[in-house]
Amino acid sequence: MTDFIALAFKNVFRNGKRSLTLGINYAIVAFILTALAAFTRGAQENVSSSIVRASAGHITVSGQYAKDGRIYNGLLRTADIERIARESLGQDATVFRRYLVKSAVYFNGMSKRLSFTGIDSGKDTGFKGQMAFSSGGWDAWAADQDGVALPSSVAKYFGLQMGDDLVVSARTRFGAFNTGILKVSGIYDTDNYFMGELVLVHYDFLRNLDLAEADASTTIYIYLDSTAGLAAKRDAFASALGGAGFEVSRPKSDAEAISAVSAASQKYEVDKENRDRVMPKLSTIDEVLGIVRSIVVAVQGLGALVAAIMLFVIAVSVFINLRMTINERLREIGSMRAMGVEAKAVTGLFVMEGSALAVMAAAAGSLLAALLCLVVRYAIPIPAGGNLAIFLDSGRLALAPNLGDMLILVALIGLIAAAFSFFPARRGGRIRPVEALNATF
Amino acid sequence: MKHRASRIARAALAAALGAATAAAVPAAAQAAKATDPKAAALVEAYESKTDLAGLDVTSTFTLIQKKEGEADRVLRIQIYRRDSADTFTLLFQYPDSEKGKGYWRSKDDLFLYLPSTREFVYRNRKDDVGGSDVRADLFGKPNTLAQYWATSAGTAKVSSWDTDVVRLDAKKLDVAYPVQKMYFRKTDGLPVKLESFSAGETLLRTTYYVDYKALSGGKYIFTKLLATDALEKGQKTYLTNEGISTEKIANYTFSKAFLEEKSR
Repeated sequence: MTDFIALAFKNVFRNGKRSLTLGINYAIVAFILTALAAFTRGAQENVSSSIVRASAGHITVSGQYAKDGRIYNGLLRTADIERIARESLGQDATVFRRYLVKSAVYFNGMSKRLSFTGIDSGKDTGFKGQMAFSSGGWDAWAADQDGVALPSSVAKYFGLQMGDDLVVSARTRFGAFNTGILKVSGIYDTDNYFMGELVLVHYDFLRNLDLAEADASTTIYIYLDSTAGLAAKRDAFASALGGAGFEVSRPKSDAEAISAVSAASQKYEVDKENRDRVMPKLSTIDEVLGIVRSIVVAVQGLGALVAAIMLFVIAVSVFINLRMTINERLREIGSMRAMGVEAKAVTGLFVMEGSALAVMAAAAGSLLAALLCLVVRYAIPIPAGGNLAIFLDSGRLALAPNLGDMLILVALIGLIAAAFSFFPARRGGRIRPVEALNATF
Repeated sequence: MKHRASRIARAALAAALGAATAAAVPAAAQAAKATDPKAAALVEAYESKTDLAGLDVTSTFTLIQKKEGEADRVLRIQIYRRDSADTFTLLFQYPDSEKGKGYWRSKDDLFLYLPSTREFVYRNRKDDVGGSDVRADLFGKPNTLAQYWATSAGTAKVSSWDTDVVRLDAKKLDVAYPVQKMYFRKTDGLPVKLESFSAGETLLRTTYYVDYKALSGGKYIFTKLLATDALEKGQKTYLTNEGISTEKIANYTFSKAFLEEKSR
């Protein structure tokens, strides 16, 4: 058997030109699929990580509350929810409250509607490492309760500099307008796509701007040491909240989960039940990322379709090539059969030859793609503001070639080559020694 | 030098904004929670003159919105108003992109009808009409003293008129403007100017009532109005109220079905 395998590998190089032509095809397919797998894996990891670092927790609590005949977006009893989160999810759970408000900003006769995120600067420091300040800094912002840290795109739009005052005017949850003055204490850039429009202010500033109660928030973010069994953890948390009088719900779809974690509307609705209550909605990061997964699957599906077409073309080539090879090697087949080699063994030899060529070429193509991905990943900087922004990690394209993916891919190509080699090889194996020798002598 | 200039600019801005900060407790909450009789009398007299209870009013509003650097935006709206039932219907007639859209208010409920999706959206009764500086609560029976504490704030000259100034502080924060100042003409007690402030007492917009038309029974309705946005410099809305009629309006007009029918 070992001799047969060695012979099969040796035979691959007998007709160098033909093997090279076919091998290049295998290598190209392997290259494309490896690069695609690296891209989708990298994109999925990067988007997940960026969202978690910007706008979603492992469990995100958003929702509504009803008070005095009206339903408002947001949460009341924030401290109770935080306490119950720690009790039911473990004291290691990190819990942050945030206040989100969309508000018009006015400066020098210009205006723009911005999404503000209010955080507790003493605890919620996850943004700090992701912000590269060109003016001011985290500490300057954190020290000024009326301070605002802006992305450089917003600063450029208004022509803002450090110390400038901005007027914000927001329609509060009750309907009344409220205004305030923010002082620019930081201008930053970030390569986290989901922080690109983040206007960072202090939690209390936004809560007061919205004229909200002291225990109000719009969202609570919960981060866990491990996301294993996240749905079960969410269920335990939901059950504990239910026991404390909260009316808990889960998003019905991935789109609803995304909407739940990004909602910042202050408009109220009339409460037909006319019953005061807090209705938290618990979304897991898996639900928030559901749409991302769908996009990745779609990209992978498209790649698989392209690969399938290419493999089909290759399969036809394999079929024709092998038939030609068998016709050329009739003397060899006849000799082997005359020496007592069985038909199955001859078939196996040709199948192994086809597979060996495919595996070697695919491995080379896949390896080359992985190397190129690593070069692009670590050596080629890409500007943050372009179309690829969502796929960037530290200013580099987040490509993540994976050895497991590569091995599966090479094995798959080898199997396809074996399958399409089988029929012409079987025909070769079935040739009787007399027929083979008669045809050559 | 630059630092000093910046400080002065900030001080000037703070002064202009009434030293407001977002963290400030709403001025309305801090204000004395009482209405003084003189101010109340001025407000009641004005509301009595503009309360069209008993009259059905049909008219056409034309709004011209001016914004710096942008083309003028024109809206024409047919108004059907019945103050006795605290209801009104607004129907957009121009431009074509807004045609068929409408508002129907019944007491505290305000609905916006969107013909594109054929749905009614519940709105805050302070909704901007068609994204202009004019609010839906402009149409309909005023109920100022139920919503605000009124106090006298002296006198002032507005254009050529001597006026009494009344400061209004919201009793609840479910009004668009928690603080307002109304300037009543001494000659006939009608308001000629209305300043609207945020909870932090930042001036947000000023409305000038340029002209009124006298109706039967000593009632008045404004015919020309100018609203200016104080934050967005150069943004103004002119409003004219024409084709005023006090003929009886069919009950059906004040219904969702009417808006749906008119949008077809």
